[in-house]
Amino acid sequence: MKRKLLAARLDLADKISEIASRKGTLYDYVNDILEQAIRAEELGIRLKEVLDDRWLIKTARDAGFIVIPKKIICELAEQAYAKLGKKKMKKLWYETGQWYGKYYDDLKEFEKAVKRYFWDLSEFKLAKKGENLTLTCLSSKYSEVYPELFSKFLEGALNALGYSLEEGEVSKGIISLRFSKSKGK
Amino acid sequence: MSKERSRNQKLIRAPADLVSKLNEAANREGKTFYNYVSEIFEQAVRAYEMNHSLKEIIDNYEILEVHKEAGAIFTPRDILDHLIKKTYQEDGKSLQQLWYQTGKWYGIYLKEKFEDSLQAFHHLLKEGRWDLNQVFMKRNQKTIEFRCVSAFISQERTMLIKKFIEGAMHSLGYKTQETECFKGIIRLKFSP
Repeated sequence: MKRKLLAARLDLADKISEIASRKGTLYDYVNDILEQAIRAEELGIRLKEVLDDRWLIKTARDAGFIVIPKKIICELAEQAYAKLGKKKMKKLWYETGQWYGKYYDDLKEFEKAVKRYFWDLSEFKLAKKGENLTLTCLSSKYSEVYPELFSKFLEGALNALGYSLEEGEVSKGIISLRFSKSKGK
Repeated sequence: MSKERSRNQKLIRAPADLVSKLNEAANREGKTFYNYVSEIFEQAVRAYEMNHSLKEIIDNYEILEVHKEAGAIFTPRDILDHLIKKTYQEDGKSLQQLWYQTGKWYGIYLKEKFEDSLQAFHHLLKEGRWDLNQVFMKRNQKTIEFRCVSAFISQERTMLIKKFIEGAMHSLGYKTQETECFKGIIRLKFSP
């Protein structure tokens, strides 16, 4: 097989050589790396994004999220909604949201997490104006029950982050909530 | 090349065909080959520091894409378990059917997307974030065996994952031969 020389940044070349020495030969290790870079290129993705995503999954798991087809979660939610009633189900989502609000303990971090993990949302925006906060969330019109429950999840989280719900509108595909800073927070 | 610059560089030998391909890719992106290769090496080092190879990371990325295509989302685990617990007792059969059908969809999709769809499915179970601690697949000419173990999933979720596996395997063209399901343990045997 024909070989070519490629110039690499000294610090990176040294690091790659060091790793290679634990795995086998430098040539084989570089070969593997370049093959995967070409594979990523053919898939139309950037290696940096792929590695960022890997990190995302790890942090999602650490935060207690699980990947599940939306069809299943919507179906389960609708069945449970009918059996347990609105009140209990909303309470469950609200309390789970509260837990996440406390877990992230920062409005910006929570916003980032929602944007990262709920990739089905076409828009998620938190707009702060003085003591008021407006939340807008748009997603596919998948289910009637799911947005209602998801809005309780968001309300619970924002409540734990120091905001009380003033008014809200929830319909298929759209959640629009307005909060104000909780007294004493 | 200036002396200063060459002092900060090192030459590494690599297969000529790969170098040519990457050179073309760098040109397409409007980057110098040197910068393009540096980015690749930076990510390789980052992957190593995450205790993975680039191959494993790209494999996992492809699996995550399968979930995205399937319309899967991240959901709080507590909510999922609570919903399953509350609905399974009364309507376990229809839930099982729902998971079976979802599995069938995944099977069809994997068959279309991956050359070795069975290996991709094994990978999906391992990396699917379903709290399975161990997923073994034993493949021989006559049978395919799966053994999944989890220390902390409920009996109900175990049963639903089993149905999901069956659905996917049926779409991949295999028939169920034997099944065994116990809280946190699934053993399934399929034949072509």
